[in-house]
Amino acid sequence: MALENWQEQLRRGGLDLAILLSVAEAPRYGLDIIRHLEEFTDLVVTDGTIYPILGRLTREGSLLAEWVADEGPHPRKYYRLTGSGRRRLSEMLVHWEQFTRKIGRLIKTLPERMR
Amino acid sequence: MKLTETGEARIHGYLYILGRSLRSFMPHAVALDALREVESHVRERIAQEQAVPAEREAVERILAEVRPPLEVARAYFAEMVVEEALSTGGLGPVARAIWRLATTTMAGFFAGVALFAGYIIGAAFLLTAALKPIFPANVGLFVVDGVPRAFGAQFPAPPGAEVWGGYAIIPISLAIGLGVLTLTQRAAKTFLGWWRARMTGSIRKSGAVESSR
Repeated sequence: MALENWQEQLRRGGLDLAILLSVAEAPRYGLDIIRHLEEFTDLVVTDGTIYPILGRLTREGSLLAEWVADEGPHPRKYYRLTGSGRRRLSEMLVHWEQFTRKIGRLIKTLPERMR
Repeated sequence: MKLTETGEARIHGYLYILGRSLRSFMPHAVALDALREVESHVRERIAQEQAVPAEREAVERILAEVRPPLEVARAYFAEMVVEEALSTGGLGPVARAIWRLATTTMAGFFAGVALFAGYIIGAAFLLTAALKPIFPANVGLFVVDGVPRAFGAQFPAPPGAEVWGGYAIIPISLAIGLGVLTLTQRAAKTFLGWWRARMTGSIRKSGAVESSR
């Protein structure tokens, strides 16, 4: 149970970063973001629960949402990074890389038989 | 895949329940926008499905992947109301989140009752401190025949009771009141954090965390 909680917190912490990365290059709509995440990560989220996170990131000003009616068979809500979202993403990437590098260094100090 | 009337009815039923749940804690316009987005997702998924004889199975599978409407609503609640309560820590947002959970979940109900008692007790101590300078003979520790009987404010004071404590009651009540309120608020935030972690843990796809690519 404790391991599951830890994994969940890790996943939750990484999910915001993964979503911002998904829309960093071009705007994407919800289903497209889910497919993108499923393709590159195992941060698989249930379809219906990614939208509340997108909503929060929009409220926080990291994403800008816009409905596009004439592109697919149904209107799609596209998300793209805002200026502050791009700054936040850069900061998150720096922190993430530092964090993983430090943890990686720590793991290397562990004898092979214990990994 | 083009849906039959039965399939359409199933989708409408799903969206109806989701819409009602969302409107119970979201502003109407925000709830409508969220509902429209989920509908767009469901319809897009259906449009991408090959026509199959067992339409019902396909629709049920798509809706199961979206998750049941009440679960989706809870996810919105966690990201909107609980997140605001935890990030601001304000009394209003925390109370709103606790109230909602108390009226919709069993754990929330018991937590809500305990937290409500904490807030009331804390407020009562603060009120005692505020009333003491106005009604010095009616506020304090009431002692009858050397035995403490009650603490607080009583109108009229019990017959034969002495009021102990004097004006020292004011700083003591203030300290206890603020202490109880702070602890209660901290407990409320801890409960909300626990609920959010439990909720997000329970709605992830089975095996999603364990799998590796």
